[in-house]
Amino acid sequence: MMKKLFTLSSIALLAAAGLTACDTGGGGAQPAAVATLSSGVAVSGEITFWHAYSAGGGEIKALEKTIIPNFEKLHPGVKVKSVQISDKDMHQKLVTAAAGQSLPDVIRADIVTVPELAKIGVLAPLSDAMPDFQSWANKMFPGPLATNKYNGKSWGLPLDTNTKVVIYNDQALKANGVASVPKTLDELKAAADKVGGKYILAEGGSGGWQMLPYIWSNGGDMTDPDVKKSAGYLNGPKAVAALQMIVDLYNKKAIPGVILGGSGGTPTGDGLPKGMYPAIVDGPWTFPGMATSYPNFQPKTSPMFSGDGGSVSVVGGEDIVMTQQSKNKELAAEFIRYMLSPDAQNAMGQVGQLSAEKDMAEAMAAIQPYYAAFLEQLKTAKPRPATPQWAKVDDIFTKQAQLALQGKLSVQEAMDAAVAQIDPLLAQG
Amino acid sequence: MTAQRLSGQEVSTASAARPRKPGRGGASRRPSHWWVPWAFAAPGLILFFLTTGYPLVRSLQISFYNWSVLPTQASTFIGLDNYTRALADPQFWTSVTNAGVYLLMSVPATVALGLLFAVLLQKKMPGRTLFRILFYIPVVTSWVVVSLLFKFLFTTDDGAVNWFITDFLSLSDHAVPWLEQRWTGLIAISLLGIWKNLGWCLVVLLASLGGVGEELYEAAALDGANAWHKFVHVTLPGIRGTLLFVLVLQVIGAFNVFPSVLLMTNGGPAGSTEVPLTYMYKQAFSFLDFGYGSAMAFILAIFIFIVSFAQFKFLGEKKEALR
Repeated sequence: MMKKLFTLSSIALLAAAGLTACDTGGGGAQPAAVATLSSGVAVSGEITFWHAYSAGGGEIKALEKTIIPNFEKLHPGVKVKSVQISDKDMHQKLVTAAAGQSLPDVIRADIVTVPELAKIGVLAPLSDAMPDFQSWANKMFPGPLATNKYNGKSWGLPLDTNTKVVIYNDQALKANGVASVPKTLDELKAAADKVGGKYILAEGGSGGWQMLPYIWSNGGDMTDPDVKKSAGYLNGPKAVAALQMIVDLYNKKAIPGVILGGSGGTPTGDGLPKGMYPAIVDGPWTFPGMATSYPNFQPKTSPMFSGDGGSVSVVGGEDIVMTQQSKNKELAAEFIRYMLSPDAQNAMGQVGQLSAEKDMAEAMAAIQPYYAAFLEQLKTAKPRPATPQWAKVDDIFTKQAQLALQGKLSVQEAMDAAVAQIDPLLAQG
Repeated sequence: MTAQRLSGQEVSTASAARPRKPGRGGASRRPSHWWVPWAFAAPGLILFFLTTGYPLVRSLQISFYNWSVLPTQASTFIGLDNYTRALADPQFWTSVTNAGVYLLMSVPATVALGLLFAVLLQKKMPGRTLFRILFYIPVVTSWVVVSLLFKFLFTTDDGAVNWFITDFLSLSDHAVPWLEQRWTGLIAISLLGIWKNLGWCLVVLLASLGGVGEELYEAAALDGANAWHKFVHVTLPGIRGTLLFVLVLQVIGAFNVFPSVLLMTNGGPAGSTEVPLTYMYKQAFSFLDFGYGSAMAFILAIFIFIVSFAQFKFLGEKKEALR
């Protein structure tokens, strides 16, 4: 048996060595030059559009029954194939499709994945390809627009956006002895001291998505503006003080354990209407869910707790991007333009997708009263650092913040350790 | 796959040990052409090389590279860097330790309970078939479904387990944050492992128990053996080969624990419940570090190979000695 195993192992190793000796790719082939994709040119053929629109909230219906048919009517003879991929699977699907050279023409990509996709060379830079790019860019809120930048170019345009504000349960606050919702970080601390051992606020995790609004509002940051280094920023006094406040609230039991990752704890979207958590910091997508599951609950909103840096929340949402592989880039560009048109943006606004276009703000606020708070917050909201290394950076930050919350490291030690791991990644670009 | 391979080894070893029958009968069964057996084996072999052999070799190649996801972009050969990086990565060792803890908490209990229930269900009793089916249901149920079910059971605020501990038994006045801490998280994941794998152990051992000759029990009874003596001196030696098989597969399975961890704790908090497969999955598919993920997979494969080999060597020799 051993002899057979040895023989087999040797064959496998030799085969591996043989493969290793082969060239592993195109030797750093440069992406093909981008053709100019002017607006209004005659388009034909078919494109595929990947997205993670949800079926439950009517998004798919709006896309497939209204937006795509209208686009196809405008351009007779063209066809847009819509492919829905769940939000959770999207990243993995994109990675495997990139490896297998089977990406679609247009993608609605989560804003944090755009620099990564740009880095691995699968996207066409819209700032080069579309002559009218700048006119589209000028329409956008600066936060969502910034999520498309990588290496001096813009690789997409904001398709929809969102941000987080304080959503609170008035009755639960009063029951815990807090007369009105805290407006500032100081008031939040004071309220936590006052209620002593009762929850005042819940956060569903300790990653950049959850912690950056506190850091920014306190006047700190995660990296320098060019996203080249985190030393002096993430472990600087303002960022550390913001995280220290969160750790103190957690230790005082003013913040529940779901901040450690959400596994096992009551989700924030359930805890708030149930009255367990008096306040959460969350996005507009929580409203339809709460309205369905807790029809009697009336959520109220307030801007992100302000501090030395103002009231600064985090930008979420999706960008629309075109792939290098697309064989019909003219049609892809025309479809992107249509997806950003008032018709399509309004149709998506009706089903919960906030437009990132400044001109659309009024129309959006008219659709849903609660949109107004988010549109106001968007004026100062910032994107997470636009880096292709974001997934790793966020993982490191999350783990170190969790170690600080668990008391295994001081906040300063945890952030020093995070910086030591993050900066080499940022240096890779 | 592994089960088939291992059982295949057993079969081939057994047939090799069997003396060949001399004479014309043996010669007449020899195939007329050398390629006939290969032709029969070809579909399976082709499938094996396409779905297992080639990916394995490719993965080994990737492990020596700073691998680029896009085939059009160059990957850099970095030799053993990914391997040395893994060996120096404390998170990798935490994940291996967690797999070891999971193994110790789940495998002995699974095999022991599987054996106990197999012995009980071997006896003729009413509803025996029903119980056999009930025990096997978790095995055929999707890992995803049962992992989400267990996550729900172990939820801190509304979970049934905490209700049972705090409200029903009054053992504690506060809810245990099962999935928010390392050791309680691993306990919950191990309990799922036991529940899920018990039925498989039971069925395999049950089949093996049926093969122990009735005459051996009769002979033992004549010698005055009681039930315990019969179990220790007749049953256990009779199924030792199958027990070894079950144990080896369970140990391999424990190192490969994946969906339950991913869905119940996702390796958190702070990576404290990470196991090798969740860690390498994240390296590859979240961070696009396929070279590093592949290197960890091979380190784990070598480790599992050594442990399995030691089990066969150590327990297999005992089997021979007993004969």
